[in-house]
Amino acid sequence: MPLASYQTSVPVVVDDAKCIADKGCTVCVDVCPLDVLRISDMTNKAYMAYDECWYCMPCEADCPTGAVTVNIPYLLR
Amino acid sequence: MSGPFESYDDLDDADERLQAADPAERRVAIIALGHSGDPAAVAHLAKLVADPDSGVRQQVAMALGEFDGPEAASALVKLLVDPERIVAAAAADSMAEFKDPACAGIILPLVKHAHAFVRMGALRALRELRCKDTLKPALEALQDADAAVRVQAIGVIGFLKLEESIPALTALINDPDAHVRRAAVSALAFSQMKPAAETITRALKDSDWMVREMAAETLGLNANGSLAADQLVGSLADEFWQVRLKAIRSLGRMKVERAVRPIGNCINHDQANLRKEAAAALGEIAHPDGEAFLVVIADDPDPDVRKNARWALQQIAARKARAGA
Repeated sequence: MPLASYQTSVPVVVDDAKCIADKGCTVCVDVCPLDVLRISDMTNKAYMAYDECWYCMPCEADCPTGAVTVNIPYLLR
Repeated sequence: MSGPFESYDDLDDADERLQAADPAERRVAIIALGHSGDPAAVAHLAKLVADPDSGVRQQVAMALGEFDGPEAASALVKLLVDPERIVAAAAADSMAEFKDPACAGIILPLVKHAHAFVRMGALRALRELRCKDTLKPALEALQDADAAVRVQAIGVIGFLKLEESIPALTALINDPDAHVRRAAVSALAFSQMKPAAETITRALKDSDWMVREMAAETLGLNANGSLAADQLVGSLADEFWQVRLKAIRSLGRMKVERAVRPIGNCINHDQANLRKEAAAALGEIAHPDGEAFLVVIADDPDPDVRKNARWALQQIAARKARAGA
């Protein structure tokens, strides 16, 4: 799986201000079937570690604070 | 203690986290309790229904949806009347997952609540409980001023599948709201009796295409639906292809031989879905007259249409072989 080089270039974007992973939340990491989300060791917030997404959406739907946004490519909409 | 919590100390620890000053920490503790699946967690979650943070209350409502039973229902009832819409909406979603009929007595009083959203949420929650005590309040809710509440009341009645509710559902065929009429036609699907089929047949002439579509589909499920075969054939000329598609499917299911030519006339429609259903219906009817239409789409650009056409031609060939034998 390719490593995501820039967080802004990946489909799953996490709003650090809303993310409560630093409080112990791991919902998005737990629900991702491809296991591409991680909690950053530096910021303690969730981020997309591997640029591989099926756009299945549970990370966005289940995030308790609405911090996760999945940007679906135009051709898949 | 059975379940994910190994000891009472674990739940005490969860209780401590539920009282954290930071709402985000409380939310994380609530998520953990919800995921535990341990019925003992419900009492701990119920303590937070009056939390000052609406996000925490919303999380409690979502977590309680992981459980079932009167204790969780009692807590969710309080959250359904929450002034914050996100909390009430989460409570409505969670309550709709419940299956334990023992919850009905707790939810029923909300059917007469002043706010339409609460009445709607309560009726939606009662639907899958399939408790006979809910029939009377649901029938009364059919007179509700709010159309969305009437739709949910129809859902409760439809799930109960009691013939005694047929007259009330039949009366709704004249409701001013199209969504209510559509829901009523859909609910009548449970009845295999002639009166239900007659009501659904009348709905084929409804002014709203979605009601006509539902009627065309539902007639195919009714044992007396074939009595409306002529009206269904008439629906093949409906201005909406969605209605025509359902009519084709029902006529095929009922094996109405006089529908072969009208269905065959739909075989060149622009919509591949319609061509596919027409081919399947001609196969189900398996009348030799359908062969001429099926040959036309044997090289259809859509593979699903070609597949159905091949299958249909096989059905007709098999019928011919049986007749010849």
